[in-house]
Amino acid sequence: MLLDTTRVARRILAQIARDPRFVGLACAVPVLLVLLLKAVFEGVPMFQRLGLRIGVYALPAGGFIVFFLAYVLSTIVLVRERRDGTLERTLAAGYGRASVVLGYVLGYGTIAAVQTAFLFGTTLLAFDVPLAGRVAPVVATTLSLAVVSVALGVFVSALARTEGQVFPTIPLVIAPSLLLCGLVIPLASLPGWLRAIAYAIPLTHAEKVLLGLLRDGRTFAEVAPWLGALVAMGAGLLAAASLTVRARA
Amino acid sequence: MRGGAAPSLGGRGALTIGTAPAAAWYRRAAMEPAVLARGLGKRYGRVAALAEVSLEIPRGTIVGVLGPSGAGKTTLVRCVGLLARPTEGSLRVLGADAGSADGALRARIGYMPQEAALYEELPARANVRYFGRGVPDDRVDRLLALLGLADRAGDPVLGFSGGMKQRVSLACALARDPELLLLDEPTAGIDPILRVEFWKEFRRLRDEGRTLLVSTHQIDEAVHCDRLLVIREGRVLWEGPPADLLARGGASATARTRAGAVHERRFEDPARGMPPWIAGIGAGEIVELRVRPDTLEDVLVRLIGERSDPGAGGRSSASLDRTAPGG
Repeated sequence: MLLDTTRVARRILAQIARDPRFVGLACAVPVLLVLLLKAVFEGVPMFQRLGLRIGVYALPAGGFIVFFLAYVLSTIVLVRERRDGTLERTLAAGYGRASVVLGYVLGYGTIAAVQTAFLFGTTLLAFDVPLAGRVAPVVATTLSLAVVSVALGVFVSALARTEGQVFPTIPLVIAPSLLLCGLVIPLASLPGWLRAIAYAIPLTHAEKVLLGLLRDGRTFAEVAPWLGALVAMGAGLLAAASLTVRARA
Repeated sequence: MRGGAAPSLGGRGALTIGTAPAAAWYRRAAMEPAVLARGLGKRYGRVAALAEVSLEIPRGTIVGVLGPSGAGKTTLVRCVGLLARPTEGSLRVLGADAGSADGALRARIGYMPQEAALYEELPARANVRYFGRGVPDDRVDRLLALLGLADRAGDPVLGFSGGMKQRVSLACALARDPELLLLDEPTAGIDPILRVEFWKEFRRLRDEGRTLLVSTHQIDEAVHCDRLLVIREGRVLWEGPPADLLARGGASATARTRAGAVHERRFEDPARGMPPWIAGIGAGEIVELRVRPDTLEDVLVRLIGERSDPGAGGRSSASLDRTAPGG
């Protein structure tokens, strides 16, 4: 199973390596988005008057960017694989569904990790981030979030027949995540029922960790349960995703 | 693919991958037919794609599945390939119950889908290696060389012609040296020369002991098969060796009279001698009498009841058109 997982991941990375334009864009987009954030927050007087400490929000915002990119990429690619029959052929060749899903996570997770590296590099250069002593949990949280995105992508791809049908699902997943994750609106100010929805969203748990560590100055031990919840959600989504990877209709 | 010294695509020799242990269950299973279906049915909602299909495919044979488009050929291939779950009946594949199929059983089946289903950005070699799940590189290269793709093995499939993609697809299906090969319209859309080469290859695979289930809507390919399964609207119209089907055929007779009239009739049972209508014309009046026994294609066209391949079905009527005004 492990061998099959690495075969799937290697195949995905080989496909991407053959597409230099994609690689270039995938690395450039996080960099450009961070620079845009900097331009907006430091260039618009309103934000300066509010006295926001932009540095502490930069990485939590970056986490959202990684989540968004990995989700869109994996959904579209998976829809293509389902449509072209390559996913079915992979299963027909004897690959197990768990190997396939974990292979996708490993493959697209690697891409997300590279994007995260570019994002973090730019963020650290562009903003004043209080990252000292918190690198490991921040990176672990961002990568867990990427795993969640890929699993969610595999799951959602089962609902779409064409790449075009993926696009309406993007705002459906992204908008609630962004609005309710605590990055834009504090969770405490949400009405109860909205807060309940917020806690069902993986990004909320990631932001609890990232904002907790970077903005609120919490220790890792204090935010660890949120990271645990994120990992558990990732595991649940992986199981759900593997149910949609079926050879037999 | 090239003829000559006839290199082997697999055999049980040096190229064989993943030899199964000679355990008792394996020997017992190996004696069972490659495919055994009883009352097989597959419904998609209210549409019955297959109904009451019973068949037995002995090992080491080529079985051709013939029928017009939409007859259920692909559904049957997909059921046998463990890609579609039958809704009725029982199905055993390579000695195992298809319902309890797992990756290990799937790995013993080579499946070539109708659409090439390849990773087009990747080179031919990478595709075969991936779908072969760890077959050695030298086997991958030998397979591609055998299929005439040695020079293009490192090129992305994206730029390949239809026929080349089909060859890569076949190489993927053969990569793990499967016992059972399921080929869904493997010759659709490829040139006539490659079709001949493909069938040569299929026969060689059969001669090496593999079982092949080949679906096609090209009626002239029936002659290459050891057994035929003719289906229409999901039901089996006929099953057996091509020779038995041919024996059911009749003949058509064309009689030209002194007055220049041409009579064309069929008779279904040539063994029973000339039909009465010839005697009715009057033996002295007939200047020319031609009797043409039905070919396998004729029998199949009549059996299926519609001409799914205009090239095969159109010929006899075209020749009639030519003789009539001349007489």
